[in-house]
Amino acid sequence: MTAVELSHISKSFGPVKAVDDVSFSIEKGELFGLLGPNGAGKTTSLRVMLDIFKPESGSVDLLGGPMTEAKKDRIGYMPEERGLYQDIPLDRCLAYLGSLKGLSPAEVRKRSDVYLERFDLAAFKTKKVKELSKGMQQKAQVIATLLHQPELLIVDEPFGGLDPVNTQMVKDLLLEQHQQGVTIILCSHQMHQVEELCDRIVLIDHGKVMLYGVLEDIRRQFSGHSVTVRTGDKLPALEGVERVEPGNGTLKLHLSPGTLPQQVLRSLVAQNIALEQFEISMPTLDEIFIRVVQGKGVEA
Amino acid sequence: MKKILLVLKNELITLISRPSFWLALVGLPLVGALIFAGVGAINKNASASQAISQVVSGPQDMRPEGYVDLSGLIRQIPESVPAGSFVAYPDESSARQALAAGEISAFYIVPADYLQTGKITSIRPDLNPLSTSSAQSTLFTWVLQVNLVGGNWVFANLVNGPLKVDETSLAVATAPDENNPLAYWTPYIITIIFYMLIVGSASLLLSNISKEKENRVMEVLLTSVTPPQLLTGKILGLGIIGLGQTLFWFGTSYILLNLSGQTFHLPADIHLPISFLLWGLLFFVLGYAVYASLMAGLGALAPNLREASQATFIITLPLMVPLFLSSSVFMQAPNGGIAVFLSLFPLSAPVAMMARLSAGGVAWWQPWLAAALLAGTAVLIVRLVSGMFRAQTLLSGQAFNIKVYFRALVGR
Repeated sequence: MTAVELSHISKSFGPVKAVDDVSFSIEKGELFGLLGPNGAGKTTSLRVMLDIFKPESGSVDLLGGPMTEAKKDRIGYMPEERGLYQDIPLDRCLAYLGSLKGLSPAEVRKRSDVYLERFDLAAFKTKKVKELSKGMQQKAQVIATLLHQPELLIVDEPFGGLDPVNTQMVKDLLLEQHQQGVTIILCSHQMHQVEELCDRIVLIDHGKVMLYGVLEDIRRQFSGHSVTVRTGDKLPALEGVERVEPGNGTLKLHLSPGTLPQQVLRSLVAQNIALEQFEISMPTLDEIFIRVVQGKGVEA
Repeated sequence: MKKILLVLKNELITLISRPSFWLALVGLPLVGALIFAGVGAINKNASASQAISQVVSGPQDMRPEGYVDLSGLIRQIPESVPAGSFVAYPDESSARQALAAGEISAFYIVPADYLQTGKITSIRPDLNPLSTSSAQSTLFTWVLQVNLVGGNWVFANLVNGPLKVDETSLAVATAPDENNPLAYWTPYIITIIFYMLIVGSASLLLSNISKEKENRVMEVLLTSVTPPQLLTGKILGLGIIGLGQTLFWFGTSYILLNLSGQTFHLPADIHLPISFLLWGLLFFVLGYAVYASLMAGLGALAPNLREASQATFIITLPLMVPLFLSSSVFMQAPNGGIAVFLSLFPLSAPVAMMARLSAGGVAWWQPWLAAALLAGTAVLIVRLVSGMFRAQTLLSGQAFNIKVYFRALVGR
């Protein structure tokens, strides 16, 4: 079942086309990665999705139809530019934002106490938000986003400004939400985080969809025609290997067209090379990202 | 509706939990209380203006004054003048000696050619510009007036005010009574009060929105409430605060005046019936809705409060026009063409119509038409400004000027 579907949406700001014919869909319960370099159109896509911006063309289907007032209470959104009232105590800030999502004062109190305890913020709940550190405010923002237990969670750069301990805490929280069946859209340019958490991604650059699909499929698509080998022996000349590229204790063997990795493995075994590692080279998401953004495309 | 109430409640709680709010709310009447307590202690029976004058310039000197009459005009001191108020001296030197000895506080020299020139010299030991119209100076004027008409105080009284018309108007009144200063200045005072009330309350919204924008909380809010809900809740919440604050200040001023021994009585010539107060309430609410929305739009669009403030003058200009034209239009011809136009034109109506209503003679249908036009404008502007909330994030960080504001207001 589809939780979100964007069909051919376009949005311009003056002469700049921020989003250009973007389409993708997200399944219910999925942890989906929305990637792109700065200024690629990620945030604009999210704002169109959330009905903050109206698209010039295209349509958005959210939780089974167009956005309605009632649906707003089923969505949690944490924007990249964090927004909390600075001059009021943290508990009152959470109470107001929670009440706008349809929670009663008692529910807000109960749920925020749990989250504040979990995020080590219980002792600071009566402090003004501006008196909290940047990291604390970041955690408070996460609480405000989760307080009403949304069905669809949209988090824009959730790890920005967090130390490794808190990054892990937020990551665990996202995985926990995912396990509970919450649909999550993780918008980030921290590729390793997306790689770790998401099964499917869409990569946007200059307002256009550059990559879209299952992460493993995309990596395979970008894997090229090479294998990575780790061995203590000196590597002999191998049939079908065009070039050997040394790496960090490994060797990357670039294969000639028509040569299969299995043929190379057989040849290595036949020549009694003691193999410590043999694997088909798969690019990291970082590498894929750079290649796409720099316009290098899929390796031949 | 529920979300409007939530926004409203939040605005109320946020504002009343600020120490600065209570400082302004209580501090202003407190300063007033201190002044009036001092004034009340000085003279419980004096008028407010007299008492304040005493605070500023010190207690009034009630020693007698002298006069040297070289014209031979002053043959008698009228009975209405308290005995011992004036002492006659034959020449200037004896009067100066009495002044130096502290027997008199000042003296007047009526020269021999007074009847030709009308000039009198007043000699006092200190420079006191505030006491030029003191009670004793007024008394000496009265002494001269009575003696000028041969000692008949009834004639002198008639010379002072020869025309006391009991007017019965069959047509619409055209101008307030110039002979009654308070009645004459009432439209001006009303113009200033309404201008301050509306602009003051609307400015609260400007700073509120600017702050939310600077805090970047707007985007979070817009995923929970619609722009019209947010705007309506804010307008109502801050409007209630503004109105409540104003009523509190007026109430405490009234109580303080009474406590300090002063009384607040409008002269009989000024009629401000209950309908005036009801119209006042309606025009305040509608005027506030229009200007608060415009200010909210400004706050949403400008990157910060400083840049927003630059455009405030342009936006409130229509409301200032009646203020500029107050003396020439609303005090002279409150039912003339310009005054009628300004009172019907929605952007100036909240101030202009109240100024006209205070002067009287407004055709019955005009306040209704003005209110209807103003209500329509309020709805339109609330809608237009709601649209700007969507665009505000888009325009955030861009250079701001008034052209950008008006283009965004019309949705471009």
